Amino acid sequence: MFVYEKKLQYPVRIRNTNPALAKFIISQYGGPDGELGASLRYLSQRYAMPYPELKGLLTDIGTEELGHLEMIGAIVHQLTRDLSVDEIKKAGFDAYFVDHTAGVYPTAASGFPWSAASMAVKGDVIADLSEDLAAEQKARVTYDNILRLSDDPDVNNVIRYLREREVVHYQRFGEALRLAAEKMNERNVYAVNPAFDN
Amino acid sequence: MSCNKPDQSFRSGSLPGAFAPLAMAYVPMQVSAAPNYDAPEALARGTLFPGLDLPFMNIVNEKAPDVPTAELMAIDFVVDELELYLDTHSEDQEAFDLYQSFLALRMEARERYTGRFGPITQCDQLGSESYAWLKDPWPWEFLNRRER
Repeated sequence: MFVYEKKLQYPVRIRNTNPALAKFIISQYGGPDGELGASLRYLSQRYAMPYPELKGLLTDIGTEELGHLEMIGAIVHQLTRDLSVDEIKKAGFDAYFVDHTAGVYPTAASGFPWSAASMAVKGDVIADLSEDLAAEQKARVTYDNILRLSDDPDVNNVIRYLREREVVHYQRFGEALRLAAEKMNERNVYAVNPAFDN
Repeated sequence: MSCNKPDQSFRSGSLPGAFAPLAMAYVPMQVSAAPNYDAPEALARGTLFPGLDLPFMNIVNEKAPDVPTAELMAIDFVVDELELYLDTHSEDQEAFDLYQSFLALRMEARERYTGRFGPITQCDQLGSESYAWLKDPWPWEFLNRRER
């Protein structure tokens, strides 16, 4: 089960509102490579994992991603607090506003609502860990792109932190893939799926 | 040389030779949990490990924003980071010793924080005079414009 801790993993203190920025940062909340998909991907893949290292790592990284989801939600919330209708119109935030006001809704920057189609659970050790490696790189690139587009130092401080976490997670998933392969038949790890064949 | 001969080189992660063991993404194992940053720097950087610290366009965070939870966040962060490391390095006794020392620091930092600012988890209210869980601000709030 999960127990809530009333703190963020990393502080989010955005001094200036900026709805134009919120419009694309929301993609890391509910976009194809965002934190919601990340947490659900890892927490869902756990069940088919046959080895304790993989169960542990997917649980721990999946849990951390939920903390990142909360941080992105905090950024979007703080960028859009106390807005006037004029500010909303000027920033082009009106399309989001008409559907969600200043609530935080899991959607991609392009307007597509969060979809489980953006993640995968294959129930196979190699396939799922390879998916996770790609997912971390895609999230890293999204943060790169946010850093290219954003000039708010308060936002970028948090984004740099989140981006670095993707680099660390990639390393751990890579290590997990090696540990898994070593446990599987060394002559041919493709001979069976230890998540299914016993 | 026979292609049927099992190639044990996979274990050491060598690249495919004449008879490649198999095709798989390769990430080298991190060798050790040392050296590492101190807790506040680790938090600001987003990793405990200088070897994994690969910032975009080489722009790094000098420090994390200064908040009441900063000390606790930094220690909790090192704990989290070491847990992920230990998930793939469960036999690393040095890393486990470091983890133990940070668990002790975490306990002290938690008590300091909850004594001053209130509960981090509901259960921190053991012995509390009233139900302090609902006290503002919540983690996502930063009331810069209209400080309440």
